[in-house]
Amino acid sequence: MEPGQSKPAGEAGVPAPDKCTDPYLRCAFNGAAQTALGVAGSALLAHSPQGCDYLVNNAFASQECDYMETMTLCTKLCVDEIVHGGEDVLARTIREAKDLPISALFVISSCGPEIVGDDITAVCGELQPEVKFRLVPIPCPGFRGSQYDGIDIALDVMLKRLVKAGTQKVPGSVCLVAPHANANPTWVADLDWVKQVLSRMGIPVVATLTHRTPLAEIENVASAEASILLSHDAGQKAVDYLSATYGIEQVCTGIPLPIGMTNTKRWLSALGERFGAEKTAESMVAEGERMVTATCRRKWPMARFLYRTPAAIVADATVGIPLVRFVTEEMEMTPELVCLYTSQRPARDLLAGELKSLGLRPRVVFGTDVYQTKKNLAEIRPRVIFGSTIERHASEGLGASYVVEVVRMMRQFRMINREYFGYTGILNLFECVQNEWTMAWRSKEKRYEAKW
Amino acid sequence: MNSDSIAFHGTLQQLLEKVESGEMIPKLQASHAPMCKFFTAYYVISGIRHVVPLVHGPTGCPLYMSDFVRTRECCEIRGVPLEPTACTTLDESNVIYGGEGKLLEAVKEAYAKYHPDLIVILSCCCSGIIGDDVESIAREAEKQVGCRVLALKSEGFGGDFRSGYEDAFKLIMELMEPPKTTMKQTINILGARWGPSPTEFNWDLDEIERLLKEIGIKINAVIAGGCTVEQLRHAREVELNASWCYDWGQKLGDLMQERFGIPYSKTGQPYGYAATKEWLLGVATPLGLEKEALAVVERETREVEPDLAYLKQALEGKTAIIEVSEFPGPIRALSLARMAQEFGAHPVVINVHPYTIKERMPSIKYIIGTGLNPEIILTKGLFHLGSFRSSKETEDELEAIVATYDNPIFFGNSGRFPPCPVVNLTLMNPAFQPHYGFKGIKNIAALVRQALEHKDLPRSRLFRGMLYGTGTK
Repeated sequence: MEPGQSKPAGEAGVPAPDKCTDPYLRCAFNGAAQTALGVAGSALLAHSPQGCDYLVNNAFASQECDYMETMTLCTKLCVDEIVHGGEDVLARTIREAKDLPISALFVISSCGPEIVGDDITAVCGELQPEVKFRLVPIPCPGFRGSQYDGIDIALDVMLKRLVKAGTQKVPGSVCLVAPHANANPTWVADLDWVKQVLSRMGIPVVATLTHRTPLAEIENVASAEASILLSHDAGQKAVDYLSATYGIEQVCTGIPLPIGMTNTKRWLSALGERFGAEKTAESMVAEGERMVTATCRRKWPMARFLYRTPAAIVADATVGIPLVRFVTEEMEMTPELVCLYTSQRPARDLLAGELKSLGLRPRVVFGTDVYQTKKNLAEIRPRVIFGSTIERHASEGLGASYVVEVVRMMRQFRMINREYFGYTGILNLFECVQNEWTMAWRSKEKRYEAKW
Repeated sequence: MNSDSIAFHGTLQQLLEKVESGEMIPKLQASHAPMCKFFTAYYVISGIRHVVPLVHGPTGCPLYMSDFVRTRECCEIRGVPLEPTACTTLDESNVIYGGEGKLLEAVKEAYAKYHPDLIVILSCCCSGIIGDDVESIAREAEKQVGCRVLALKSEGFGGDFRSGYEDAFKLIMELMEPPKTTMKQTINILGARWGPSPTEFNWDLDEIERLLKEIGIKINAVIAGGCTVEQLRHAREVELNASWCYDWGQKLGDLMQERFGIPYSKTGQPYGYAATKEWLLGVATPLGLEKEALAVVERETREVEPDLAYLKQALEGKTAIIEVSEFPGPIRALSLARMAQEFGAHPVVINVHPYTIKERMPSIKYIIGTGLNPEIILTKGLFHLGSFRSSKETEDELEAIVATYDNPIFFGNSGRFPPCPVVNLTLMNPAFQPHYGFKGIKNIAALVRQALEHKDLPRSRLFRGMLYGTGTK
């Protein structure tokens, strides 16, 4: 199979695999909620039955919201509202919230009200004069796609409804797009790393779309000169819109996000080149590489023993694509299977380029689900898997020595956010490997009982 | 007591009357959103081994299921292998043109991929509204695959969380075949499910199973807490059904009694000595094993005599303020009230949400019928908009209420900071599990001892600030 090509769909005796899936990705409603909850000083109202509120809770956790600051509400639609329409209930709920000290209330509609035709945009328009905050309707039923589609839909609404045209450009500034479309469970650290880098290069950040972003920043996003997309899974549409509407140029395009030595160097260099900060970029690379090397010399990462160990990577494109080079170059392993949750053309092209450049020919599965992952793990039998808790259980009995949980962890928990981007990110990933290595060596039972 | 902060103060019977008449149902649309019907139906179905729960909907509906039920609860905690969370991934086109054809193919595909013993189609809001006939598809699909295919209309808007459980249990009855024999001294335990709500930890079930085994009672199936389809087929061959929680098993128990004539032991949760003894005798007596049960109770009681004596001495004359807030449901609060009463305390149950009373009406009525009718206080904070505001206000109100009682002791969890000893009955601390049965008596006695002997130790300023902000006392 050619690098970058997906495995043929289906297998002998199994019907085409798109009717019954076991998805990794959540629905568009969830992605829209993640995006809305990244706006500081706002609240979110789910116009939905009460079950969808759990998708909001998931998004709330993903955006690291503080329940003392951010409120989520739900119209809790029942049969009556599905039969007779839920617009009255929506209006009543907005009125209940009218005294909240917020700058915006994002109203996101789920499958039920969208199918029965509730017009949340009209309700918000009608009630806007009654409330002090902005009402922002985002019709985003789950059936409109994956969580990444939801992020794109919500960003589209925000940019079209909230951004003020005609703002003066801030010279050499950027806006950051879709940092939350990243399967690193503590992706906020990746965003923080990017901001530190930009600060050191003297590049002002006009807005982040979205994480703890004040409404005023979103309104002002047109003043950015450039945009940086922080995901290979979502946000490209927003970046394209900003480019087409406000002439905001996308930078750091066509290269993987900065995970690992080479990717980080490329990314920093591209940034330095665009903003005339080549010297700073060079010194950041030199310092960073020196720091990583020195730290490894002091800590002796066990990752060095995994030379030419067959590996699988199961992740989103944002983490998964850069990980291919990191695993191959830094850890000298042999990626033999790459399963990515998404299958967008830019991500396919980017991965194909990486594989070609590295001379790798792993099996590649785009848009994987849990079933496809398990089947491919069973066929390829990698010795090390970079993935999630799901792969830990899916690979039981398949002979994998280590499952390094780098995305969607259930058991391992981080109180401190840890980035994968940049130089400390390399050490964080080594640490994940190291802990898994240690666990694999730990005796599962004692050979005899002590006498005391 | 500051009457400005009190929304209700009376007995359980009086609260029930107010809830029944609609007086006590919160008017705020946005307050208190428990799980939807789909979620709870899923929990029950996922408690059957080798089942494919096939969600006929978009990918959002299985979110909680795949992350929390399958991966965290089942794989990580309960030792269950990775099982599928299958989904038809309905999209806009399916919503417009219908998804029945896709569903039929999905069932066939699910069978080919997972080789299950059972496939259960679960409809959700989308498929329910567009009118996909999941039941007909299930019948059609069953002819084309090698296992039973059932369908459950579990649209999230279609009912409350309770209806999801009940409809799923009702569906499971379709798998129960006419009895060919009677399994002597064998029971089913009803009302279990594998969900993220840790109200039924393995430890509690282990304690019940241990005691039943001591008596000589066998269990055919824990429905649906890891039972097999084969066990469900034979479920009508038992002599008796029982439940560790009257509430959850009640509907299925009543239905199996009504339809199949299998008696159902109606007992509450085995918290404390009296409830544990009642639970065991409730099961053993109809099986003709009363003598054996009494012998086990006597033996076990000897083991916990110091703990029982301590609980009586520690709780006698106290006011037990009881709040179950982390997985709010009135049944556990009422079971604790009964236990507190047994050891000589006056129970006051605080902040059971009227919504949960409404949802558990039959069980509450039964409990009142058994003679338990404790004092109940609901505060206004319970009805306020927003989880933080509500939580902060109920904390302030709780602290004020506790201060008005003589000799109070708080039965709840450590997230509360009342000015009295706090018995940490959280379900999130495995160090003191189980709470049921005789081992539970030991654990609860240890928790009460910790609360009383260390009541003057400082509480965490850090956790208090985290929960209620730094502006609190």
